[in-house]
Order: sequence, then C-alpha cells, then structure tokens
Amino acid sequence: MFKDITDVRQRLGRQQYIASEEIATVIYLAQSLCKPILAEGPAGVGKTELAKAWASSLGRPLVRLQCYEGLDESKALYEWEYAKQMLYTQLLRDTLQETLKGANSLSEAATRLAQEDDVFFSEYFLLPRPLLKALMSDQPVLLLIDEIDRADVEFEAFLLEVLSDFQVSVPELGTIKARHEPMVLLTSNNTRELSEALKRRCLYLYINYPNLNAELEIVRLKVPDLNPNLARQAVEVVQQLRNMDLRKVPSVSETLDWARALVALNAKAIDEETLRHTLTVLLKYEADVQKARRMIGSGGNGGGRRPPTGGPGGGYGRPNN
Amino acid sequence: MDDRIIEFIRGLRAAGVRVSVAESADALRAVEALGILDKALFRESLRTTLVKDVADFAAFDNLFPLYFGSGGPPLQNAMEELSPDEQQMLKAALAALSGRLQQLLQWLTSGQGPTKEELEEMARRAGAQLANNPQDAYWVTRRMLRQMGFAHLEEMLQELTQRLREMGMSQPAMEQLMGVIEANREALAEQVAQQVGWRIAQDRAERPDDLHGSDLMHKAFETLTESEANVLRTEVQRLVSQLRSRAALRQKRGRTGRLDSKSTIRASQRYGGVPFEVKYKKRKLKPRLVLICDVSTSMRPVAEFLLRLVYELHDQVAHARSFAFINDMHEISPAMSTGRNAVEAVDNVLRDHPAGYYNTDLGHSLHTFFAHWLDSVSRRTTVIVLGDGRNNYNAPRLDLVRELQKRARRLIWLTPEHREQWGTGDSDMLEYAPVCDKVYQVRNLAQLSAAVDRLLAGG
Repeated sequence: MFKDITDVRQRLGRQQYIASEEIATVIYLAQSLCKPILAEGPAGVGKTELAKAWASSLGRPLVRLQCYEGLDESKALYEWEYAKQMLYTQLLRDTLQETLKGANSLSEAATRLAQEDDVFFSEYFLLPRPLLKALMSDQPVLLLIDEIDRADVEFEAFLLEVLSDFQVSVPELGTIKARHEPMVLLTSNNTRELSEALKRRCLYLYINYPNLNAELEIVRLKVPDLNPNLARQAVEVVQQLRNMDLRKVPSVSETLDWARALVALNAKAIDEETLRHTLTVLLKYEADVQKARRMIGSGGNGGGRRPPTGGPGGGYGRPNN
Repeated sequence: MDDRIIEFIRGLRAAGVRVSVAESADALRAVEALGILDKALFRESLRTTLVKDVADFAAFDNLFPLYFGSGGPPLQNAMEELSPDEQQMLKAALAALSGRLQQLLQWLTSGQGPTKEELEEMARRAGAQLANNPQDAYWVTRRMLRQMGFAHLEEMLQELTQRLREMGMSQPAMEQLMGVIEANREALAEQVAQQVGWRIAQDRAERPDDLHGSDLMHKAFETLTESEANVLRTEVQRLVSQLRSRAALRQKRGRTGRLDSKSTIRASQRYGGVPFEVKYKKRKLKPRLVLICDVSTSMRPVAEFLLRLVYELHDQVAHARSFAFINDMHEISPAMSTGRNAVEAVDNVLRDHPAGYYNTDLGHSLHTFFAHWLDSVSRRTTVIVLGDGRNNYNAPRLDLVRELQKRARRLIWLTPEHREQWGTGDSDMLEYAPVCDKVYQVRNLAQLSAAVDRLLAGG
C-alpha cells in the first residue's frame, strides 16, 4: 500500500514509470476510496504500462482481461471443463455403481446420486477466466481491463456488478465474493462513448501525450544508450509531428521504438538520410510519411514552431557534413 | 467547505456537466482523504471524481478558480511604506480631490479593498444578474470597472501626483506610491473579474434549465435556433447509447440462426461424440448502409443529425458510406470516418459549392453516383436517401432510382415533408415514393431516431 502521493511517484519511478502529479493523485485516491480507475487517452501513451508498473510497485500479480468485440461473460468469467467432467464420470463409474448398489427403486438411486451432485459441479471443474481469477485469488491482485471500449455494451453492463460489489454470480455455485478486493484499472481508447453508469463507478484519469520535457525524460529512462543531444532532437521532431494534421500521430511507444532504432543504426544526427530510413518507425501511413518529409524538408515551417537546432554537429533538417 | 463544494457541483451541472449524487459523495470522500491544503491535489481530487469526460475538462477549469480562488490577489497598503509626514500629505491630497473617485482612490491606497458585499452590490448594479452565460462575464466586468471609475483613474492619478509634488513629496516616495497603486489597481480588477464570474456561474446554477433536450426532440428541425441545436447535439449522445443497447440486444437475441451440424459434430469430438456444445450458424445482422443526403440549406440540419446518429452508431453498422449532394454528388465518408464530427463534414461539402445560389438536382447527382460509386451498392446494402424530393423541375430520373432499388436490399427514403406537401410545386416526391421500399417522415429528432432504430432493426 502506498503511504502518500510522493510514495506513489517514487515507487512507480522505480518501476521505470514516470507518473505525473495527476496520475499519482488518482492512483492514491483509488487506493484510499477503493474505486476502480478509468484511464482514457490516445493509443500508446502508456495506459497499459501504468497498470504493469502499478502492479509491480505493490508487488501484486497483474490479471489482465483484454476486451474485444464479442467478448462475453463465459470468456471473461469462467467456463466449465466439460471434458474433465466427462473424464471424471467415466473414471468414477465403479465408485458410482458402489454408491448405487442396493437401491431398491429408480427414485432411490436418483436420490442417492443427487446427494453426490455437488461433486460434478464443484470448483474442480470450474475453469476461471481473468475476472474470476482476480476475485478468487488468495493474494490481492491488480485487475487490468484493457480497451473496454472494444467490448460490447452488454458486457459493460455485466462489469457493473463486478466493479461495484466485487462479486459475481455463477448459477451452479452461487455468488462468489472477492477474497481480497482487487484494484482495478480500466483503459479506453475513446473509440466509443462508455455508459454513464460505468463512468460513475470509476475515478477518471485522462492521460494525454507528454510534453517535451516529460517525453525526453521517458526516452532517457527507457533508452539510456541514446546520446542526450540526439534524444532531445528526436523528441522535438516527434512533438512537432504531433502538431501536424496527420492520419495517425506517433505515440510514446513509437517514440521509444524510434529511439531504439536510432541507437541500433548508430545514428550521429537526425539528418535527412537518417529520417529517410527511419521515419516509417514513427508514421504508419504513406501519406503521413510524405507530408512529414515535405515539412521537414522545407525547414519545419509547415506544421508548427521550428525546433531550435541542436548541439554541435546536430544541424537538424540538413546533412551535417 | 462542503457547502462550497456542493455549490461548485451545482455550477458544474449548470455548465452542462453530468454529475450524479454518487459522484458528489465520492468527491467529498476524496477531499476528506487528501485534505484541502494543497490546492493542486484538491483540484485533482475533485476533477477525477466529478468529471468523467475530457470534453468537460474545460468547463471544470473555468469554474474551479471562480469557486475556490482566493477571490483575487490581496491589495497592499500604500501608507505603510510612507513616513508619517508623507502619510499626512497623501491624506490631505486625497481629501482635496473631488469626491467622485474618492472611494476608488481610498481602496487603492489603503489596501482595504471593497468587501464581499460591496463587490456583490456593484456587480448587481453592473447587471451581472442579467447575464446568463459565462461569455458575458467579460462585458459585465468591463461595465463594473467603468462604474467604479477606472476609466477616469488615469486623470485622477495625474492630478494626485501634481498635488503631492506641490506639497513637496520626494520623488522616490512618489514612485513607490504609484507602484503600489498600480499593483493594487490590477489586483482590484482581478477581484472584480472573479466576483463577476462567480456570480454568473452561481445564477446560472440557480436558474431552472429552460432548454430541455427531451422537449426539443419534438421540435421541427427547421425551427431550431442555434442554441437549441447545440442542446440537441449533446442529446444525440444519450439517444445513441439508448439506440445502441437496443440494437445490441437485438443482435444478441437474433444471432442464433440455424443449427450448424458440421461444427457441432466437430465440437462433440472433445466429449467422446456426445454433442454437449450445440453450434449455430451466425447470422450477420448488422446493416450495410449507403447514405445519400441532400445538404441544401433547408435540408442541412436534418442531414447533420442523421449523419451524427449513424456515425455515432458505427459499431452497430457493418459498413457505411455517405454521399452528399446539392447539384452534384460528392462522397463524404473519408471526412466522416476520420473521427471528425458530422457538422464539419457537412460544412466542408457546403464550402465546396458556390455560395448563395443552389440548384438541387437529385437526377444529375444520381447519374454521377451511378458513374463513380455504384460498386458501393450490393445485394446486402440498405440505401437511404435523405431529401425533400424537390428537384427544381430538373429531370427526376426515376429510372435510376428504380435501378438503385433493384440493386440494393432496401431503398429507404427519409423526407421532412408531410404527405400533403408532396407533389406541390417542384416536389417529385409522389413519383419517388412508390419506388422506395419505405418512406419515413422525419421532421424532428424523435422521428429521426425512431427511423434510425427501425433501420438498425432491418425493418
């Protein structure tokens, strides 16, 4: 458990996650109010990463439920292992005969069998899926419900019971209550509006693209091999690209990929040559790549402010020899 | 403090943010957990519990300083820095000045600004209670400052300097004094602005809502004012979630089709040939849509709301392409699908047309459609034409409409006009109607959403 907000920041920092004041506050509140967090924001700003860092900073296992269209209760909650049930029935046939031996009538046999009913519908044959796993776990866990906006509306409604009371009903077994209330993080990429009821139950956290300094800090932390000057230039380029009217702007994870690519290619400066080879790491549409090349070629007055030229030998946008 | 938070929540609601009772309780608990000493934390704990939509962050950011600001920076006391002699001089000079701005000069030099009640009274005189939206705050503030005498302050200050110089006040002391007065003047203006902003927000929270989305649902599109249209636009969000859950439920219940014997037998192999799991063939129920919208001036609001509804519901629709026409057909799907809103897309189409004179021509537009985009219509597509059927006496090209009906699964026409108006003037509606599978009249949002609901139901 976190002591206070500074503690949250420090411990997330030790997991290589740089949390803003805002993120740290919301996480601390989630803990003290026992409420799930709904994290929204563009794709690739580190929402899932936050869950991982959160879990490991508390030393809790992370249970992840990835949502997709068509996900239903049985896939998220539990399934019966029919095959195992069948197998047990086959193997236990002899014992069953023993039990049923000496029954005078069919109804007496049925009554005896009914007494053993529980064996066939017990937790042995229950195959827990992420949600049930999170509730039944012996130690407190962190439950990540990823990309809830992809799931169907009915599934969202089903989640309400789980999130507000931390319990679920399995018809064959009754209501299962959480042994430890899990901490829950839901993420959404905002592809559709979530229901009011779900939002009401959660704390809301909006994670946006980081600003230049924050992103630079992330790059330095995750790709320490990159020359600091080069890292600054790279982040400036990315920030500038985000200001442009592109079909898909580069995310933080793509910045990191690019930074790693620059290290792998042993780039000395971000010149036209390097850009030509590596821009596709950042931009995933041909039209975007063209647009970015034109902007950078023209000296950066196309889409936003022109970044200051970097350190020595780092003339950005022109070859350095 | 709790009272202030509750007032703030009412202010948020008045600004259009939906805050439930449960969320208010959460906010109070969060504040309890984190305290109110650290302003940034306090702000964060309110925001995360009360505002659940990025779009509402702006409203929160506007209101927060009005309710929890210090009421503006404090004024300084100009007297403190002066020697007793100079204080006497200043008092004498102030007394000698004519009475009109005395009050204002008093506030600016003594460091004792107007009290909360005085500010309140002045705001009332400046007409703050008549303002009903936050944009008016700027004007009310200006008026209030003028009434307080800010406009003539410059002359007064010159006169004051003049007098003080005559009395023999030293230059450094004068500069010091003027510096303090200048700082106080800015601080006072800030206090006034905050007071006005708070008063307006407060009034707005207390005034019952005069615009209710649900009443406007039945108001005809062409009679909507801009602000009413805005209310309806937010109403669309709620409408969409209703339509979506209905559609999703229908999908779920209707999905089970015929028995799929092949995969049932395959699945039964796991259980020693006992068909434990019975598999059904899935039916594809999501409609594929082609929307053809008339975006001439009279049809524009209807077109906008239809496009909004359909694109908000994109997860219940297998595929949608949209076209807009006035005198010629244009495809607008790319603009719609990149997440831009419907208004912008419609605006863009309108901008492409020469302003002023439009010549609606469905016949010619359909001709273009047949030449370029006929591949978008297949046996599984539902074609929706939104238009009033008024063709400016151009050829109606019934042959093309008939052809379209034959190719498509269904051809549905949405028109804002009453049946009685059909065929009057340049309307070709009476000819188009029999060719269509269905004609719905959509005069208002209620009718439109009912039509969209039936569309999703495939009926």
